[in-house]
Amino acid sequence: MIQLASQKHVLLGNEAIAYGALTAGVGIATSYPGTPASEILETLEKHNIYTEWSVNEKVAFETAYGAAMMGAFALTSMKHVGLNVAADPLMSSSYTGVDGAFVIVTADDPSMWSSQNEQDNRFYGLHALIPVLEPYDPQSAYQLIIEAFKLSDRVKHPVLFRTTTRVSHTRGPVELQPPSKPVLGKLIKNSKKYVLVPENARRNRIEQLKRWERIKEEVEKLNELVDNGSKDLIIASGSAYGYVIDALKEFDIKANILRLSTPVPVPKKLLIEAVSKANRVLIVEEGEPVVEYQVKDILYDEGIRVELHGKDLISRAGEMTPEKVYYAFSKFFGIDIITDYLQVPQDTPPRPPTFCPGCPHRSSFYDLKKAVIMASLRLDDVFFSGDIGCYTLGLSPPFEEIDSTTNMGSSIGLANGVYRATQKIPIAIIGDSTFFHAGLPALANAVYYKTPMLVFVLDNRTTAMTGEQPSPSKKIEIGDVAKGLGVKYVKYIDPFDVNNSIKVLSEALKWVKENKEPAVVIAKRACALLVTRSLRGHELPKAVVDLNRCTGCSICYDYFSCPAIIPRPDKKAEIDPLTCIGCGACVPICPFKAISIKGEKPEKWDELWLG
Amino acid sequence: MVRVNILLAGIGGQGLMTAGRIIAEAGVYSNVKVLVAETHGLSQRGGAINVHVRIGDVNSPLIPLGKADYLVGLEATEVLRNLSYANKNTEIVINAYVNRPPLPKIRPLPLDKILEKLKGLKVHVINAEEIAIKAGNPLAANAAILGYLYSLGAFPGIKEESFLKALRTESNIKAFKMAQSIVKVKTL
Repeated sequence: MIQLASQKHVLLGNEAIAYGALTAGVGIATSYPGTPASEILETLEKHNIYTEWSVNEKVAFETAYGAAMMGAFALTSMKHVGLNVAADPLMSSSYTGVDGAFVIVTADDPSMWSSQNEQDNRFYGLHALIPVLEPYDPQSAYQLIIEAFKLSDRVKHPVLFRTTTRVSHTRGPVELQPPSKPVLGKLIKNSKKYVLVPENARRNRIEQLKRWERIKEEVEKLNELVDNGSKDLIIASGSAYGYVIDALKEFDIKANILRLSTPVPVPKKLLIEAVSKANRVLIVEEGEPVVEYQVKDILYDEGIRVELHGKDLISRAGEMTPEKVYYAFSKFFGIDIITDYLQVPQDTPPRPPTFCPGCPHRSSFYDLKKAVIMASLRLDDVFFSGDIGCYTLGLSPPFEEIDSTTNMGSSIGLANGVYRATQKIPIAIIGDSTFFHAGLPALANAVYYKTPMLVFVLDNRTTAMTGEQPSPSKKIEIGDVAKGLGVKYVKYIDPFDVNNSIKVLSEALKWVKENKEPAVVIAKRACALLVTRSLRGHELPKAVVDLNRCTGCSICYDYFSCPAIIPRPDKKAEIDPLTCIGCGACVPICPFKAISIKGEKPEKWDELWLG
Repeated sequence: MVRVNILLAGIGGQGLMTAGRIIAEAGVYSNVKVLVAETHGLSQRGGAINVHVRIGDVNSPLIPLGKADYLVGLEATEVLRNLSYANKNTEIVINAYVNRPPLPKIRPLPLDKILEKLKGLKVHVINAEEIAIKAGNPLAANAAILGYLYSLGAFPGIKEESFLKALRTESNIKAFKMAQSIVKVKTL
């Protein structure tokens, strides 16, 4: 927790959003973990307000929405694709409005650093008639989230706050004010407003459109026109603003700048004022032409014809970069911009992300591959339906046991269709947090329709990929859930117990084939980061290789591929003691029994891994 | 106003983000603006990552290609992967450490082969782990790198006492100070 003083603090954009929400008086905050949004709730949960990691984004949204209906100041935060999961209540919230203040943070991920797509959620604002506020750095994020709460409170309407990776995950100086008293609610029963039966919804629709007109007026003052006396106008939205002003300085160019903090709706009066002073306009925005569409619409209606550029000079694909702005400037201002840079050597070895040392998923994929073969199936004849989590890395060599990953819960959902189209039994691979997030309805579907599939749940006791946020699996047994849904074959394995795991998984595959309905096998072992974090400061055991027994067969480093196991020049294996955490996963992998564990297990070692 | 761009390259888990945070904090103590763009999420898991550090008159987080004043590799291969951020005058600081990517059948480039590819550039090779171990904590390697960068003048306006405050632990401070006194500029 930060002690507030007059001095500036170094904060991530996401931390700045959290501190701004506290200054605005947030009383309830919810989220589902997802990069690049996670640090918002991680920061808020250290403070004295109600926070929760909800089971998925829809539930997170509804929890905050319900609180805002009761008059609370509520915030829900999620990654961009999470808002798709919450899109149903999002649309309704715009019809009902709220009695308190309701801010929805969507953290978009242009360039897809940790996501399946780079959708631009500013479109949700146009779609749902919800205003979108967009900061450009941590300081502006802090100030603008306060404005988001004020706007929502004034208009009694939800507000979308859109950030992107390079705002959320940029650290910079932020000046903070103290937090305000959290605003909670009181019981409000107003069925005419909150029950969206046709009669009410039709009336709400008219009210929604009236609020939208008011919002158009309200957003004018949140934007700024910097008049430098130029006939060239640059309209910059969100993160683009920082790149634009840096490039203007770099090349000593004068232009007027319309800085948009509300890309939806574009402030009409300010836009017309800015454009009326200009001969030429360049719109710089990350992602889709959300501002450009609106600007063209407004200018057409006003009968204004002006030379206008935007996405014709700046690619929609990938995040905003200095290079994109340089290219647009070189065309728009007709200047030569040549930067001299060195080339990356072509033979630089690749270094994709990989399972951590001690990761139970590595063992699970190793076991599963052997089990498939033991069940007399061919690896190229089995569809591995993957899901979203660290285990998506099972795609990479040496495992190559992921054939699809499209969205949260897709493993079981797609497996239903794969079987119907091919009559081949698919294997759905899903993590514990993802299972509760979106796997449950798909599994119920598979049980009801008797869809033969093996559901392999990798329960590592946490939501690992996003930084070890809690998972419902710690309190709700997945095996009990599966049985409760009517799954007849439910078994647990410890993925480090290789021989037994292979046996159980291959038997499960055979059972599915014979019984033509779904089976569930749960690999239960904690995320290695979770374990090592609890043991920080303790000495850990280490794996060692007996070089007399090691034959250099390469199984441990080429087919199991733990980063701590390194090939020597003579092809025998050695262990890097700084990387090894002594988990013991590699011990049963070695056919020559050359690997053993030296050193004492810390107290609670087995409990931490298997509890 | 001055502007310094430092690209930190390495592997997820090596402490690059901590190094970036220390620079940003030291900046605040000395009233110098620092922006640090980090890599989070899936890419962190043992994969190649970089951290953009921009000091001074800056409003956007990413370093333009070819505009890094310093390119720093906590792992040597990662300098090559990020070479497009450098130009011929960029000071390249390399930790003498090569990590084999855990991929089947892969052959890492040894350090001498990496240095061969950087011939004609301003290259500094330091053994940060060795300094860190001498300072009493093998995890203080990034503090050693920061100390070396400090002695090259990479942080205009940021005072040493601000770094000492941001570094917090004794071993970090020791590594930071020890690295300042090692011999400079080994241009190949």
